[in-house]
Amino acid sequence: MSIVTVRNLTKTYPAFKLDSVSFSLREGRIAGFIGRNGAGKTTSIKSMLNLVRPDSGEIIYFDMPLKDNEAQIKSRIGYSTGTVNWYPRKKIRDIVNVEKRFFPDTWDEGSFRKYMTMFSLDEDKTPLELSEGMKVKCNLMLALSHRAELLMLDEPTSGLDPFSRDELLEVFTELKRQGVAVFFSTHIISDLEKCADDIIYISGGRIAAAMPIADFRVKHSREGENLEDTFLRLEKEARHA
Amino acid sequence: MRNILYKEMKLSASVLSWLFIAFGLMFFIPNYPVLCGVFFVTLGIFQSFQNARETNDIVFSALLPVAKRDVVKGKYLFCCFIEMCGFLVMTAASVIRMTLLKDSPVYLGNTLMAANPFALGMALLIFGLFNLIFAGGFFKTAYKFAKPFVTYIIVCFAVIGVAESLHFFPGLEKLNAVGTDEHALQLSLLAAGAVLYVLLTLLSCRRSCARFEKIDL
Repeated sequence: MSIVTVRNLTKTYPAFKLDSVSFSLREGRIAGFIGRNGAGKTTSIKSMLNLVRPDSGEIIYFDMPLKDNEAQIKSRIGYSTGTVNWYPRKKIRDIVNVEKRFFPDTWDEGSFRKYMTMFSLDEDKTPLELSEGMKVKCNLMLALSHRAELLMLDEPTSGLDPFSRDELLEVFTELKRQGVAVFFSTHIISDLEKCADDIIYISGGRIAAAMPIADFRVKHSREGENLEDTFLRLEKEARHA
Repeated sequence: MRNILYKEMKLSASVLSWLFIAFGLMFFIPNYPVLCGVFFVTLGIFQSFQNARETNDIVFSALLPVAKRDVVKGKYLFCCFIEMCGFLVMTAASVIRMTLLKDSPVYLGNTLMAANPFALGMALLIFGLFNLIFAGGFFKTAYKFAKPFVTYIIVCFAVIGVAESLHFFPGLEKLNAVGTDEHALQLSLLAAGAVLYVLLTLLSCRRSCARFEKIDL
């Protein structure tokens, strides 16, 4: 079953165009959304969350268009970004107490406690008192605590130490076993190699590839190249084209 | 909508929004333009908008499982809640002035606007203008609030000036009725203020919802 389908998503800015972005993600799959800075990853994700209004295109979750079912869809997905700082002077406890009221049927106190412990988070601390890496973990904890069927994570591993990154990738694999789909953007190629099933590669606002990672290697990698080498070569070729 | 109002109160409201409700008690001050209390209540609400912008509240709210337009409705609900709290304080002060303190020498020599139903109607009109000009202006961008607030201040004090002056004009003395005198006229003016408040707020909220849908966060 397709968890999310994006069709012909287009958004034009004065200096950048997201051009007919299309891809889909099935349940229980981990998809890595990869591309260099400014390629259109965040704009795509923001459009998929209705934070950015696309000029045209269609976004369908669980067979429902986002446009008419926004609240229902958002209750079934978890989102996290590593870069934004919510309510820096409020205690994590207070933020969580508000957030969980929006998930009356799906908030999972057990998962919440599990991730609080796993990420060594203290409820009495404020986001201002957290390091950048701990803020990422705090956002992840919120996204993971309400039995989301799809996790959308914008650069979740940026700012994390190698141990925490490894731990997080294990969490993704565990969630996949439970049937949860994970869609995460990254520019750390090794993260993709460790856990992703599918690769969605965006370059200059266009989807350059959207396929299982094994197929991507067969189609694009040259002999002796690892995935990082392949991406670097493809980006250079795209720049000189 | 109850949850989004709860979120407004717990996470994005400034403590000044709550404290400035007490400025409704300015309706007790004799020989003072009592409608300034209305401005201070709205100044408290402005602090919450400022707080919301600084803490990324709008994006946090838009990511909650609510429709994007519900973020706007939550802000308007919060405005209305604080405004109604301020209005209740002003109403209580006015009722006490009109009954228990009706014959108090402090108020008998009051040359400025009396605290009466007309003043309360004007208070509602100013609250409605705050919702129309400031809240409506804020949601054109969801982050710029200086211009809408300055515009609101100018309009607010112009309305206060007009309201304070009206009873000096011949034939309009009844607007400054003390006690329960002229109660039919006074209550009609209060009702008119209430109708304008509802209309201005609904108009502004609908327009803001439509604008916010188009904003890229």
